[in-house]
Formats: sequence, C-alpha cells, structure tokens
Amino acid sequence: MALVKTQNLTKVYNPDTVPVHALRGVDLEINRGEFTAIQGPSGSGKTTLLNMIGGLDYPTSGNVYINEVDISNMKDSERIAFRLKHIGFVFQHYNLIPVFTARENVSFIMLLQKRDKQDIDRRAEELLHSVGLGERMDARPSQLSGGQQQRVAVARALASEPSFILADEPTANLDSASAMNLLDIMEKMNREQGITFVFSTHDARVIERARRVITMVDGAVSEDETKEVEQHGT
Amino acid sequence: MKTLFILSWRNIWRKPARSGVLLAAITVGLWAGVVTVGIINGMMQQRVSYLIESEITHVQVHNPEFLSEGFARLYLSDHDSISETLAADPRVAAFASRTITDGMIQSPVKTSGVRIRGVQPDRERETTTFHENLTDGEYLDSAMRNAVLIGEKLAADHHIQLGDRVVLTFENTRNELVSGLFNVAGLFRSASVNYDEAHVFVRADDLIRLMGVGPIYHEIAVLLHEEGDAAAVAASLSGSFPEAKVRTWREISPELTMIVELGGVTMVLITAIIMIALAFGILNTMLMALFERMREIGMLLSIGMNRIRVFGMLMLESALLTLTGVATGVALALLTLRYYSERGMNLEVFADGAAQLGWDYHIYPVVTASDFGVIMAVVVVITMLASAYPAFKGVRVNPMEVT
Repeated sequence: MALVKTQNLTKVYNPDTVPVHALRGVDLEINRGEFTAIQGPSGSGKTTLLNMIGGLDYPTSGNVYINEVDISNMKDSERIAFRLKHIGFVFQHYNLIPVFTARENVSFIMLLQKRDKQDIDRRAEELLHSVGLGERMDARPSQLSGGQQQRVAVARALASEPSFILADEPTANLDSASAMNLLDIMEKMNREQGITFVFSTHDARVIERARRVITMVDGAVSEDETKEVEQHGT
Repeated sequence: MKTLFILSWRNIWRKPARSGVLLAAITVGLWAGVVTVGIINGMMQQRVSYLIESEITHVQVHNPEFLSEGFARLYLSDHDSISETLAADPRVAAFASRTITDGMIQSPVKTSGVRIRGVQPDRERETTTFHENLTDGEYLDSAMRNAVLIGEKLAADHHIQLGDRVVLTFENTRNELVSGLFNVAGLFRSASVNYDEAHVFVRADDLIRLMGVGPIYHEIAVLLHEEGDAAAVAASLSGSFPEAKVRTWREISPELTMIVELGGVTMVLITAIIMIALAFGILNTMLMALFERMREIGMLLSIGMNRIRVFGMLMLESALLTLTGVATGVALALLTLRYYSERGMNLEVFADGAAQLGWDYHIYPVVTASDFGVIMAVVVVITMLASAYPAFKGVRVNPMEVT
C-alpha cells in the first residue's frame, strides 16, 4: 500500500487567461520509509507537486491519496486537520515562529493536536536532543544559526508524528557544513525510525543522499530512479 | 488558549516602537476621553445640583393658571393645607413659600423688567442655598425696611450700589399697579448672568403688604431628604390637592432633564469619536503586522493551525493591544479624576463664558461605574470592528504563501 499516491495529477494555473500547465498527469507512488528527492529545473513543477502532496493546493484534475485517503476534494478545514495529523513540513526559509523559543516552536504543533502537557514537554525535549539542540531549547530563532533553525524545523515537523515529512528545498539556505549535518540527522531518522522524507530540491548533496530521485521536466515525471546510496556518518 | 494568548502577546511586541506608539495613542486618547467625560458630567451635575439646591428644589406647587398666566391674583388657594401636609411628611426636609410677581425695577439710570420673588427668609435659608450667592451686603433677614437683593449684573447696569434705593412696580391681586421704594440690602451672583439680570428678591411680607392683601403665596418649594422620592411626593400631593399643579424638578426644568440625558449621549459620542480615530491607528498597525507576516501565517495554516485559531490569534493581538492601552488610559484617568474630584478643576479662564451659560467654572469631574461601563463597551465594539478586517484578511491567507 503506497503512503502517497497521485493519479493523473494535473494543475493548470490561469486556465481562462494564459494557461500554465504546472503538472501534466503525474502518476506517482511513494512508499513508507522512502528517502526521496524530487528534482528538476525551475518551473518543472516540483514545488507544485509537493504542494499537492502536502494538501496545500487543489489539483485541476486527478487525485492525491495519503494513506489511501483522497485529499484532492477535501474541504479546506478538513485539509488543515489532515495536515496536522499526517504531514510534517520543513520549509526552505525555516519559517519558525520568531517569538517562540525552540522548545515552544516544537511544542506548538502538539498543542494544536491537544496532546497532554507532560507528553508535549517530554517529546519536545527528546526531539530537540535528537537534532542536537538539547542545549539551545530556550533560544529564540533569532539566537540560532540557519542550520540550527532548520534542525528546529525538522524537530517541529516530527513532533506531530506525521505519516511523512515534506521538505521544500531544506538545504537551500544553509552552508555546506550545516546542510550535511541536517542531512545526516534526517537520514538517521529515516534509517533508524523509518520516517519517510520527500524533498523538493536543487541541491546535489540532497540528491546524492536520496535513495530515490524523481526528476520532473515540464510538469511531468521524466525519470524515476531508485538507488543504493552510500551511508554517511551520523 | 494560554499558548494563543502568549503568542498574541509576544507578537504585539515584535515591533516595540510601533506597538508602543499605538499604545500611547490609545492611552492618551482614553485618558483624554474619560477626563473630558468627567468634566462634562461634573459640569452638568453641578449645574443640576446647583439649580435644585439654590432655587428649584425637588418639588414645587403652584396654581396651574399662574404657571401659564403669571398674574399675582393666581395664588395658591390651598396654601395652608398644603403647608400642613408637607410639615407632616417625613420625606420632606424643608419647604418655603414664595410670593411672586412680574414687574419693573427703576433706578435713576434706567428701568428694566424683572421677576420679583418674595421669600420667607428663614424658611428659604432652610430650603435653598440661594443666600450663599450673596457677594455683598446682607440677606433679607436684616432689619432693613423694604430690603431688596439684586444681581451684580443688574446693579452694574443700573449703576446701583449697596444702600441705594430703587422703585419696584408690579401688579397686585386686583390687577392694579403698585409701586414701592426698596433699599438695596445685598448683591448676589448666581451661576447664571441671565438669571441675575432678571430676578430680584424681597421679603414676602413686604410684597404682600404692598399688594394690600392677606398672606398669599404663588409657589411652595419643597426640599426632600432623597431626590428619588420626588415623583412619589409629587403624586401624593397631586392626589390630595387636585386643584394645585405639583411638579418635580424634572418637570419644572425640562432643560435639566435634557442636560442629564445629554450627559450620557455626550459621553458615548466623545468616546466613540476618540475611538474611531484610534481605530484607524489600530487598523493600520494590524494591517502592517499582517502583511509582514503573510508567510508566517501561511506556515501556521500549513502545519495545521485552523483558520478559526488564526482569526482568534489576530483578534486577540488587537484586543490585547487595545486593552493594555485602555487599562493604562483608564488608570491614568482614574488618578486624574481622583485628584481633581477632591480639589476641583479651576477653569477660571473660561469663567465669563461659563457664567453666561449658567455654568460654574470650578469643576469637580465625575465618572460613575456605569459611565466606565459605557466607555468600555464603546471601546470594545469599535476595537473589535477595527480588528476584524485585518483578522478576516489574515484568515484568507493562502497556506502556499509559505513556499
């Protein structure tokens, strides 16, 4: 059973004026435990595809199934609730809440899930430790480096115990060391805990680490390669 | 909810200078609004109290025709019975009978029309505070024969001084003109220059003697222990003496009732005007804050914060900002009101204008708990309306703003 499945997924922007075909009938399956990168040049449709899989945008036609649930036609409020429960997000610009500490940023999503307070505190600490920020839990984003902020974002994405994590250009704003460190953490989580990661990326370092690379060209999947990658240190 | 509260509160202080300026504007606006309302309330209450205590009293009794015609012959035929009833009523603190006629005052300089009010000095002292308006000379309980009290303005117009003589000409009960020579015993200054120009006070006994009749009275002024009993006392007197016209101060002086009612309207208007001006500041600040945070709101929607919570967060930010400003503004206003309600606010610079209108210039500001309730209600409603637009705009953010 595929964790994520798209069926003839199409997205056309400005259909009535100047139609832009961002996705042209994409059929794709992503299984549990994958470490998958979606690459392609600008305008190839990878971000649109990620938005569709993440339930952030509505397809013009076709379907998106997450855990066999069709989210394509869900109402906005249902999608928000679905995302809260099933999808973790890591964004290119980190997008942490600047007025919250690292701990609060990670806890926030669990508060939205109305979890038990003790459980929230315990899990937030565990996650921040796991991304190497056990000593910076009470720092605000402005007091953290870009790499540290992105690691908080990963911890936040994991906090809700989602079915998979969508990461949109997660290393684009990071220096090499921070990018490698972040990839090490995500790869370890994938390998040891079986967490599914789906990246949209230009970054060769990410593509190199990914075990599956989907290449998008002109809104369609042009190549879908599954490979064995060399294990990097953690 | 606690987290949303913390988030909203911290969001306010992302731009301390911007929020601080708005906070200061709300604080100063509210302070100015509440103090202005307090001054207006104080002026109005002082005006009402002054008129009730110095002349009108709580209830008055007249021959109904006297009220419309004003002739001296239209006196109270049941005066003695009414007096006995009032003397026996425990709600009545004091009452005084007055003999009233319209006439003219003649000095060597000029002649002018006045209302001549014949009072019983001892009873009048117990019933009203008019004797406190005396600025020079003696009250009517002096031994001076045919004493008259005239207003300072009238005295100035007639070039009259204490001890001078004036002629009062008026109609008696037989519609005949009667004149008498009166000695200026005292000068008074009430809160209204117009009143001072149009009234003179003499002893009722002197007036009655000159009219050549037995004791006649046109008006009984009744002071009660409790203002709230006015309607009940008036109703019971009307029941017992149907030929007499019994009126409460609200009926006697509808303008006073209007003043009291106007106070409430003014309060709402002033607060609303100030808050509407501030509302644009709130709207501007919240919109700026929203536009700067579109990506962040997109992120919140992406990770699963529902739109109702986003709306709540944005509304809460406005509410917290406003309520903080309101709290500091009201606290400052309370301190100001407390200071001036004890010492009074001296607006002597406006004394001449105030006297023309019959207002005192030494104001004791008053804002009651219910006034604060109204002010707060206006503030809350206008703030929420001003906050609603940015909040609705925030709710409509596309979660893809984050990517």
